[in-house]
Amino acid sequence: MMVPVRCFTCGNVVGEHWEEFKARTQDGEDPEMVLDELGVERHCCRRMLVSHKDLVDIVAPYQ
Amino acid sequence: MAPDYDVEFIDRGDRDREARFLVRDVSPAFANGIRRAMIADVPTLSIDEVRVIENSSVMFDEQIALRLGLVPLTTPDDYEIGETVTLALDVEGPGTAYSGDLVSTDDRVEPADKNVPIIDLKDPEGSETPQRLEVEADAVYDVGREHAKHQGGVAVGYRHLQTVEIVGDADEYGDDDPHILRGVIEEDGELIPTEEFDHDLTQRYPGKEVEVHDVPNAFVFHVETDGSMSVDELVTQAVDTIHGRASELKDAVQL
Amino acid sequence: MELRVIEKTDTELSIEIAGEDHTFMNVLKGALLESEGVEAATYDVNPEQSGGQTEPILTVKTQEDVDALDALEAGADRVMEKADDFRSAYEAA
Repeated sequence: MMVPVRCFTCGNVVGEHWEEFKARTQDGEDPEMVLDELGVERHCCRRMLVSHKDLVDIVAPYQ
Repeated sequence: MAPDYDVEFIDRGDRDREARFLVRDVSPAFANGIRRAMIADVPTLSIDEVRVIENSSVMFDEQIALRLGLVPLTTPDDYEIGETVTLALDVEGPGTAYSGDLVSTDDRVEPADKNVPIIDLKDPEGSETPQRLEVEADAVYDVGREHAKHQGGVAVGYRHLQTVEIVGDADEYGDDDPHILRGVIEEDGELIPTEEFDHDLTQRYPGKEVEVHDVPNAFVFHVETDGSMSVDELVTQAVDTIHGRASELKDAVQL
Repeated sequence: MELRVIEKTDTELSIEIAGEDHTFMNVLKGALLESEGVEAATYDVNPEQSGGQTEPILTVKTQEDVDALDALEAGADRVMEKADDFRSAYEAA
């Protein structure tokens, strides 16, 4: 649905970086580099962004 | 024999949110006490009660409330446990409601991160009005022990400061496996974070057989905050909570 | 912080310190063990689920010329001193 606000494991705020991460990876940048530049260091936080999919658009018609 | 601590910063991240520092001559018990206090005993403000005025988004009220609760709020230190601040959020679609849209009654309290998406609001076809989220929320000042959203510190921990002793030459025909070590090593009084040699001791001491030893009572703390306060505030407030308990105990014993 | 003395002789003290956890108890125990005149210090906490005694119980044994309660008070002083020192060392850095 929406990106998690915080990393499930360590509690770091990851939602903050989602939109930039999404925009840049869709422009073809390497997700690894983007995460490094955003300062999302730990692999627990990285998986939060890498594995996320926005679903609001898909659910919206069924409200 | 008064304790004689020595604190030395190894690095300070940007925006006061991250730091690594070495403390010498500290007992493991005390180091752990500080670590635990930073996680569970330093209070922060966090949204705890949400009054939903309108929520026509695709998420349930409870989901929105959970997301709002997780947004870190900058926390002034003159609050009392249980004290509240009221915040409000009013966003109409199409567009996204961000943490930065939260407006607070105390201008020292604001979302520490402004770009956290709370909910994406749409203007669905065939609907008369776009989706809208209007809420009023009370942020409570409480400790991390009560709820993880009140934890000021994230990933707070420490490692022993270590030294590397060269014990001989490496086996000439042995496998050249990396020798991974993370943390900070001390060499002739100089502190070297292991990042400098890619956490691999074989890069720093090529062809040598090495042994790693912990330096007794020297701990390298890694402290990161969620933005509700600076690292300095977090550390000093954690130490103060321990001090406060000790003085409380003393008063109780004297009675 | 509520204290309840469970057993007390001149050189031995068993006391329940309500509302505390490992964060403080271990620091206190560590400080007591470093103090002069204290022979043994330990504490015991049971988990919430155990249903019985869940508050920490501190046990202190002291040498003959030291009163256990005084030792506890000195231990608290020591913790405060440590906290002050840590704070000033941190602020100096």
